[in-house]
Amino acid sequence: MMQRKNKSFPKSKTTEVKYLIIGGGVAGTTAAETIRERDATGSITIVSDEPYRLYSRIMLSKPNFFLGKIPFEQIWLKSESWYTDKRITFMPGTRAQTLDAENQQVTLSNGMVFRYEKLLLAVGVLPNAWQVPGSDRRGVNQLRTLDDAKVIIQGIKRVKHAVCIGSGFTTFEMCDMLRMAGVDVTVVMREPHYWDPLLDSVSGGLIEQAMVKGGVKIVRQALVKTVDGGRSVTGVTLESGEKIPCSMVIAGVGTYVPCDWVKTGGVAVNRGILANEYLETNFSNIWTAGDCAEFNDLILEEQLVLGNWANSRQQGALAGGNMVGGRTAFKMVSFYTANGFDITIAFVGDVRAKDRQVIVRGSSAQGFYIRLIVDDHDEIAGATFINKTPEMAPVSKLIETNVKVSPIRPQLEDPAFDLHKLVS
Amino acid sequence: MAEQKIAKIVVDRNLCIGAATCVVTAGTVFELDGENKAVILQQGGTKNSGPAKRAVLKDAAVADATILAAAQSCPTRAIFLYDAAEKQIFP
Repeated sequence: MMQRKNKSFPKSKTTEVKYLIIGGGVAGTTAAETIRERDATGSITIVSDEPYRLYSRIMLSKPNFFLGKIPFEQIWLKSESWYTDKRITFMPGTRAQTLDAENQQVTLSNGMVFRYEKLLLAVGVLPNAWQVPGSDRRGVNQLRTLDDAKVIIQGIKRVKHAVCIGSGFTTFEMCDMLRMAGVDVTVVMREPHYWDPLLDSVSGGLIEQAMVKGGVKIVRQALVKTVDGGRSVTGVTLESGEKIPCSMVIAGVGTYVPCDWVKTGGVAVNRGILANEYLETNFSNIWTAGDCAEFNDLILEEQLVLGNWANSRQQGALAGGNMVGGRTAFKMVSFYTANGFDITIAFVGDVRAKDRQVIVRGSSAQGFYIRLIVDDHDEIAGATFINKTPEMAPVSKLIETNVKVSPIRPQLEDPAFDLHKLVS
Repeated sequence: MAEQKIAKIVVDRNLCIGAATCVVTAGTVFELDGENKAVILQQGGTKNSGPAKRAVLKDAAVADATILAAAQSCPTRAIFLYDAAEKQIFP
């Protein structure tokens, strides 16, 4: 842990702030809210690279939002006056560019220099760029921000055929939305089955079956060679030579944490920004929270990066509390769910099977399928559920309480056994 | 026991997207059902999206603050809370 305190700083052009928060998403905003509850007077500044106040990013991929079934206004989670009411300085449309952790300074894209007492890095993730010849044509989209969503919402009104790239949550939900809007959809994915390697072929197969039944065409183990057209996209050509006409492409090929500037500033990073269980980085006055944090997960006993709303919100609240002098460790079993095409998908905990044992409940024929991933400690690390979300609650309880698997293995392996009985 | 102002809970199933923040925040009150929608855990094993009166909750001792935190954490504000006079407390 390093922290310099009584160092002199250049006084000109430097704005002093007690709590500086980089990131205006749910982690950063919840941290600010928690700080204000416990420190009525300390100055708080939130810097956000988006032009908007806090909105429900999780809603961006939901078909009901895209198709106007949920009123657009529902997206806003804070009123415009909330920031001033809470005496929080909100700087939208501004990017943090450099960090000097030793000297407790952050320089912004507008030239301002902040000297902070305490810093929170809640920068989220960015989509991996999908770049092939022609991918800069109009109609090629990636989904991260509200502005990205607005472009797609406008676009679907004119689109007859779309191509989705990748096999993850975003593609699944985008396909559902596009089909509901009456658009023909082809998924082009590099993987042999949907969501490989996070899901096995049975789980992936169930998802693919549901998508195909819903009218989606799936092309496996394929890469796009070129995006064709003039100014706008008119189709894609695969490596195999196959051509697929389309007027919209949506690419969802993973995410990364934009943390080069953080690393240059002296903060330790790996896949994400490294933190202990208190969400403190290698500097005792810098914390991290949300999708960008690679934290010490006490339940799973490993460094983990999790990208989901519930996790980001809880981490933001906890980091905020620790920034005002608390000392609480983060302990939560994480969830993620999706549904569409009459199928439900849920993930809990660490779902990476790696070389771990997997206990299976149900089958493709039974219409539901659960994988319980057992770690080296004979405990459940995570689980994936197809069409069986109600069992997520008892399984998360088993994960949280570090229950040993061996004594209850017969019940876990029996798909007819109600797992709620193990935790009630 | 702390003051219990919340008298009724309703989950709007059209708004609910199954983000499970309510399950994380108040796991004795909410669970996700087979459609990935939040349901309220009630006495006698009843689980539905409500309206559910406070008196029938499975966790009779749950604090108002916990239920309110669950409603506030929802990314689509799908959880509606009412007092005994049927006045909407949240959102």
